[in-house]
Amino acid sequence: MNVIPIRSSSSLRFVLNGRAAELDVRPEALLLDVLRDRLQLKGAKRSCDMQVCGACTVLVDGAPVSACTYLAIEVDGRELTTVEGLGSEDGLDPLQEAFIDCAAVQCGFCTAGMLLTAKALLAEDPAPTAERVSHYLRGNLCRCTGYRKIVEAIAGRSQEHPTRLASLAALPVEGREKGLRVVGKSVRRTDALEKVTGRARYLSDMEVAGMAHGRILRSPYPHARIARVDLTRARALPGVYAVITQGDLAWCEPFFGPALRDRPILAEGVARYEGEPVVAVAAVDEATAAEALDLVEIDYEDLQPVMTLEEALAPGAPLVHTGEPLAGHFSDLASLRAKPGTNICHQFDYRRGRPEDAFAEADLVLDDTYTFPRVQHYSMEPHGAIAEWDADGGLTVWSSTQNPFSVRAELAKLFDLPASRIRIAVPLLGGGFGGKTYAKLEPVAAALARVARRPVKLQASVEDAFRTVRRCSASVRVRLGFHRDGRLLALSCDADFDVGAYADIAPRVIQKGTYTASGPYRVANLLLHSNAVYTNTTPGGAFRGFGVPQLVWAVESMMDVAAERLDRDPVDLRRQNLLAHGEEYAPGDTPVDGKLEESLDRVAEAIRWQEATPAGRARGVAAMMKASVAPSVSEAIVRLHADGSASVLVSTVEMGQGSRTVLAQIAAEVLAIPLERVTIVPPDTSITPYDQTTSSSRSTTMVGRAVQEASADVIAQLVKIAIDYMGGLGGPPTPPTLGAPRQSRGAPRENAGGFHAEDGAIVGGGRRAAYPELLDHHFGMRGGELIGRGVVAPGRTKAPLGGSTPFWEVAMGGAEISVDEETGAISVEAYASVSDVGRCINPQQCEAQDEGAVVQGLGHTLLEEMVYEGGTLLNANLVSYRVPRAEDVPPRLESLFVENGDGAGPFGAKGVGEGSLIPVSPAIANALARLTGVRLHELPLTPERVWRALRARRRDDTR
Amino acid sequence: MIVLRPFSLYQVSNVAEASEVLASEGSDAVVYAGGTEILLVLKEGLLRVKSLVDVKRIPGLSEIRADDRYVTIGATATHRAVEGSDVIRARCPLVAGVARHVANIRVRSVGTVGGNLAFADPHSDLATLFLAFDGVIRLGSRAGGRELPLGEFVQGPYETARGEDEVLTSVRLSPWPAGTVGAYVKFGVYERPTLGIALALMRDGGDVVTDARLAVGCVTPRPERLAAAEERLRGFSVADVARHAGEVAALAVQDVEPVDDLHGSGEYKREMTRVFVQRILRVAAARADGREVHERHPHTIVV
Repeated sequence: MNVIPIRSSSSLRFVLNGRAAELDVRPEALLLDVLRDRLQLKGAKRSCDMQVCGACTVLVDGAPVSACTYLAIEVDGRELTTVEGLGSEDGLDPLQEAFIDCAAVQCGFCTAGMLLTAKALLAEDPAPTAERVSHYLRGNLCRCTGYRKIVEAIAGRSQEHPTRLASLAALPVEGREKGLRVVGKSVRRTDALEKVTGRARYLSDMEVAGMAHGRILRSPYPHARIARVDLTRARALPGVYAVITQGDLAWCEPFFGPALRDRPILAEGVARYEGEPVVAVAAVDEATAAEALDLVEIDYEDLQPVMTLEEALAPGAPLVHTGEPLAGHFSDLASLRAKPGTNICHQFDYRRGRPEDAFAEADLVLDDTYTFPRVQHYSMEPHGAIAEWDADGGLTVWSSTQNPFSVRAELAKLFDLPASRIRIAVPLLGGGFGGKTYAKLEPVAAALARVARRPVKLQASVEDAFRTVRRCSASVRVRLGFHRDGRLLALSCDADFDVGAYADIAPRVIQKGTYTASGPYRVANLLLHSNAVYTNTTPGGAFRGFGVPQLVWAVESMMDVAAERLDRDPVDLRRQNLLAHGEEYAPGDTPVDGKLEESLDRVAEAIRWQEATPAGRARGVAAMMKASVAPSVSEAIVRLHADGSASVLVSTVEMGQGSRTVLAQIAAEVLAIPLERVTIVPPDTSITPYDQTTSSSRSTTMVGRAVQEASADVIAQLVKIAIDYMGGLGGPPTPPTLGAPRQSRGAPRENAGGFHAEDGAIVGGGRRAAYPELLDHHFGMRGGELIGRGVVAPGRTKAPLGGSTPFWEVAMGGAEISVDEETGAISVEAYASVSDVGRCINPQQCEAQDEGAVVQGLGHTLLEEMVYEGGTLLNANLVSYRVPRAEDVPPRLESLFVENGDGAGPFGAKGVGEGSLIPVSPAIANALARLTGVRLHELPLTPERVWRALRARRRDDTR
Repeated sequence: MIVLRPFSLYQVSNVAEASEVLASEGSDAVVYAGGTEILLVLKEGLLRVKSLVDVKRIPGLSEIRADDRYVTIGATATHRAVEGSDVIRARCPLVAGVARHVANIRVRSVGTVGGNLAFADPHSDLATLFLAFDGVIRLGSRAGGRELPLGEFVQGPYETARGEDEVLTSVRLSPWPAGTVGAYVKFGVYERPTLGIALALMRDGGDVVTDARLAVGCVTPRPERLAAAEERLRGFSVADVARHAGEVAALAVQDVEPVDDLHGSGEYKREMTRVFVQRILRVAAARADGREVHERHPHTIVV
């Protein structure tokens, strides 16, 4: 045999982004690793790792390839193009411009792959139709945008069909503040440029000098006693710095968890779900870490698992946890109500009026049970953390978390450190959707770093993410009692939420979701009960909608059943029962802050409810109302620099939702300076002030208000200085009225003395002084800065959940569908979503986020479900866990907003982003029922499920 | 992060060399062409090997050529090459059409016809399609080569008749005679198809079906020709094909025994086989009449 194999490095010569390049690579080196680690080109991202998602797309001789599954050696003699090679020194590629203009960029994790795939398509077909684009993008997933804006950007149709809301921003809206410069405008995202050029940095892109690579060995069994662990061989492997089990962590507090501290850093004695971390290793590189884990010897003894709610709630069921529950750091969950001796770790009850009597008096009582599946967030960037201890015992963690302060609280407790010695810094996130709330990898990363005595990076894979967190599945029994005239007299619910093996934030999920079971309707008599139930599955936690989708799926399906039974139009029946503006939802809670009827009318109009339905199609609607987290605190610091530019310090995490842009717009508006002169400082608990969490659709309202107040504080200081500087020409100084934002929804730019901010200057008494001039005067030198402070902390109230919701998130959806009766496959032909946002700070970004929410909702409605068999999760990857693709987006997708300027946030805005996902399932199921007469109680509405229901109906018909 | 464990890469320049290496390394070596399948299983740790034998550099192995009777697709031709090949477009246009819908654009750019067939993933399009072209696999080795029908080559999920020292070098298709109408239909929600059906109806120049080929894949451990259904179709007029679609489909499902998996229950897949056999018959009957069926169904691709 005369052929000599390549065993070690060989030299590659290729053209990289137009320049000759040379590099030695080993034969097994994958192109993605070479690009990211050797060439420091981080634009290509690692997500699914299985050629499904396209985040790692690069062009080789113009053809798109998956760098994650492509040997680097193949580029020898070829031309390689990465996102860093798009555009020229003169500027961006037109496609990059189009992505920015069309708002086709959110978290940015898919963006490079989308751009390069689109380049290849446009090289083939310079004017592709939207349909062609969608087909070509079959292998490029996006979890944020809902694809519509990406397809628009590529098809180049944005000029012909301007995004509705970009133009809507220019329309006069009742109550819209006159003369707003930046707020209410669809300005470009401030992070779009770094995202379309591949320069945006995520946790997965970060490296810390001297860092080791961590890796986790996970339990292969759903429930097993760990009988023996032998780490000798793993520890002996050269390049291994630490191999740990929970037994090696006697030096720190053993348990963590935000609601219940039920979770060990690594499995202690017992593994409670397939995929639970059991052993962690830190080594010189990923390969050595992987090899070390191969050398770990573990003997397990099988224990009986409980895989479903039914099994977990059966009398005498095996217990997932046997220890005493320990409360976590959430005060509203201080009174956790576990049911000892069962798998129920928390119960929630709420009662109002006389439900028993009301049901007895009702003319129509419906009683039915609906189930919601286990689904995974699939943020394109999986979880990651880098932990580093300093010589003095302080801890720094860079993390892809949505709430750094909660992570800090957990680590402080685990490692017995003062908050001041812990620093949690958060880069951009490649999506979050709730899955990155609360401590995930941070505790094990910190423990590993401590033992390894060096920084450790722990980067999860998508498969790991499936074993880290998911949405709480649920079985929801609902009873509705109606008067024959259509009034909803009573509602009861009995909801069991499957929270998996550890409680995470699920106790809060169940009470939050259950509390608003009656949604936007006036129901005098309520009887609500829910259980958080442990099972031996991936822990359930927060996921866009936070417990509400599970309840809305049941209640909104049943509203349509009621309409049919009462011979009423489903929209009319809903309208009759809607809460009025200003009406109390529950004693002590915030009154309804939107005009619900307007939302319902808008959605009915948008889905053409009154018009004849085309043959073979039907329409359905659904509505929802959701509370945001309360009590809750957000703080902001605004620094006005000597040159009149400003830095805004807030701890809102930018995960694609556009918070940096929106908060910059608010600051720029109040400070009366150009948007480009405002910088949002990324979250870092040692620098940026407290914010409870980036979730619950709360940032624009809560952090936005804090930024507004902090900016107004700066202006108030400037006005004082100006009055002094200008010699009191404006009369006696009167500080600007700030008050509670509820009283001053507009920009608080003017004071009683007529002094106000305008174009970077204070104007009053016929004179004007630019900010730098005022600061020079004030400080007697150039350099001093003003610091503005904003704290929004409504505090505890007598509302049922301990705090009054800062706002009500309101969304309604309408679907028009057809169904392939022979296969059971549903086509969503049109979908209209209406959200009451009070006011859009950035209409285009609101639209982008809502479209994405609808499409994510299509996922759990039609496609997504984590499937367990014999205790094993069968589809922890993107090959067999199917998320929506571009081709799944309804041909007509409209996202509309009700803007009455009546939100509690800045300029009358309020939260958006979760709501429009929630009505998707019942709206589609209601349309299906109206089309076929078939009512499904289980999600997702897969072709087979629908087909079975249709077959059963046919059999019934023939009987 | 998934780690690819170290291996050696043999860049062979002819089939005999490849065979030599495969023979001497045994199960420690695998053939590597596009890598879209093999690198994935290596990354997943489902397979561990010491060597990859890169057959892409073997001259001529990616060639697509035709003679009077056959079209031969070289093993290392990519799906994109097949889609764009003038020879394929002229002689087996359906094959070019299906190539456009294999996996996604990146897999099509890199993945090869030979790799696809040799990997024998049951949830795949090509083997099913090529059965309708009486595909013949050519295997090369030190000892020379051999040919065997595709139906014998694919033995089960991820199992083929390829010997350890053999390299799949080409697949030879028999283009359909003039007047034949054909179609390929696939259905499925997941990344890979749940069901694939290929059909050819040969005609005598007039209205009568003289011969038929009906192949089904994905729902069975390996793609199958459905002999009873084919037999029933012979002698039908085009109108009969549409009229008796249900009857033919009933014969077809008698020959498939799908099992339950993530793609659905065996029962559902069997019924979908019935549905899509009827649909493909209607598509082909319409084409025989010079029409195209324009109804569109979700999760369905009709080529």
